[in-house]
Amino acid sequence: MAELQTIRFRLNGRPVELAVQPYETLVEALRRGFQMYSVRESCGQGLCGCCTVNVDGRAVSGCLYLAVLVDGCDVQTVEGLGTLNQLSPVQEAFVECEGFQCGFCTPGMIMMATQLLQENPDPTDEEIKHYMSGNLCRCAAYPEIIAAVHRAAEKLRAQTAAGNTPATAIMAQR
Amino acid sequence: MNPFQLLQPETLEEALSLLNTDDPSVRPVAGGTALMLMMKSKVFTPHTLVSLQRLKPSLSGIRLDDAGDLHLGPLASLRDVERSPVVAEFTPVITQAMQTLSNVRVRNVATVGGHLAHGDPHMDLPPILMALDARVRISGQAGEREVALPEFLTGYYTTVLNPSELITDVVVPALPNGLSGTYLKYTALSADDWPMCGVAAFVRMQGGVVAEARVAVSAATERPVRLTGVESFLRGRRPAAEAFEEAAELAAAGVHPLADIRGSSGYKREIVKVCVRRALEQALAARTRNGGVAHE
Ligand SMILES: Cc1cc2nc3c(=O)[nH]c(=O)nc-3n(C[C@H](O)[C@H](O)[C@H](O)COP(=O)(O)OP(=O)(O)OC[C@H]3O[C@@H](n4cnc5c(N)ncnc54)[C@H](O)[C@@H]3O)c2cc1C
Ligand code: FES
Ligand code: FES
Repeated sequence: MAELQTIRFRLNGRPVELAVQPYETLVEALRRGFQMYSVRESCGQGLCGCCTVNVDGRAVSGCLYLAVLVDGCDVQTVEGLGTLNQLSPVQEAFVECEGFQCGFCTPGMIMMATQLLQENPDPTDEEIKHYMSGNLCRCAAYPEIIAAVHRAAEKLRAQTAAGNTPATAIMAQR
Repeated sequence: MNPFQLLQPETLEEALSLLNTDDPSVRPVAGGTALMLMMKSKVFTPHTLVSLQRLKPSLSGIRLDDAGDLHLGPLASLRDVERSPVVAEFTPVITQAMQTLSNVRVRNVATVGGHLAHGDPHMDLPPILMALDARVRISGQAGEREVALPEFLTGYYTTVLNPSELITDVVVPALPNGLSGTYLKYTALSADDWPMCGVAAFVRMQGGVVAEARVAVSAATERPVRLTGVESFLRGRRPAAEAFEEAAELAAAGVHPLADIRGSSGYKREIVKVCVRRALEQALAARTRNGGVAHE
């Protein structure tokens, strides 16, 4: 029957490997193998965004993604954006604007906002709402979240104006 | 989820030979968004899944051929379709329909082939492709065939596909000049819910009358359907409010909605009527706006 399969991939820039069951989801594997507790399963159906993980530059719902399929891929979680002492601009903006209450949805919100700002450096309210419509916040911190995305956009624009490339600006500056 | 093994063939031939078995629990998986939900709820408990991921480089192209027909590779993601300049140029109706389908993460992963093969009547692309006379190219051990969408979608979650066959291409014939259209989606529970009714409508005008009308309805019906009666009724008529009103009555009379959490059969029939009328009005108006999608 099903056998463990060893997958090798880059996790937040580091080469890693893990033996996974073929039927294990990416959320389960990241939590079990790497203590990536920012990746959370809530709805388990692709609706809420709490399990948002970036695979080869695309945000996916980790709850609907088989872990074996990230073999050879570049995987990023919110842990890879910044550290406690050195937050990424989007993380900083969420803190400054208080874009959360309980914080359960926050890693997913930050991952999604990060991808939005890479595609669209100056989104309108409508564009933010539309892009983030698949990220639910049970505390309904939506106004603050939208404000945080605008604040993050300003920070990123300031960084790119200062000569940073968009790809480096989005990460915590070390 | 129940334990299963996952095979990852590198070529189409290899995938087809892995699927060529009598075991009904062997299934292809593309984006997995539909299958994962079915496996999590134990509606589907496979022993073996054949992942099509590694075929992506060869089967995800989106292109126009020499005849101007649009080809959508089965492993193109819905997000690839949404962001494709080729598709936007071909018809903005597809592009805009993608923008209101579920969320970015689902579209990043869900594929065109999985979208069609699932046979779910609530999907947004099938009515549009049906109105555009699209055909599905299918490969199996025995060879290839091409099936028009109305014959491809045989019923509620059922298609003409044999378990050992794969969709290898989706072909949308070049649009006639002057065809304008819209996709109107009505959601009942929340703005980003699955549609309760979807209407794709296209019209082509000539000398002040409707030269051609194409109308397909989905979600309210057990499978997407072309309303050929409505189409022939409209042909040759002036696009006046009464004509659209009457066409909408005809549409409602011709569908048999299934009752579910999104509404009773009678309520859905009313919604079909309203949506068909509005879709026709918008399809006509889109001649100047170059296509569009409306979300009610
Ligand atoms: C939260 C959520 C919300 C959604 N909302 C909407 C919505 O509002 N509107 C909408 O239209 N859709 C919606 N979807 C559905 C989404 O469009 C489908 O799940 C998706 O298109 C299926 O594609 P997939 O590649 O993930 O399919 P998979 O899950 O991989 O496969 C689905 C089926 O197709 C078969 N299959 C896959 N590829 C092929 C192939 N090439 N040849 C033959 N058979 C194949 C599989 O065996 C399986 O039976 C939603 C999905 C989710 C998870
Ligand atoms: S837990 Fe994956 S989207 Fe909700
Ligand atoms: S902050 Fe509590 S769920 Fe969003």
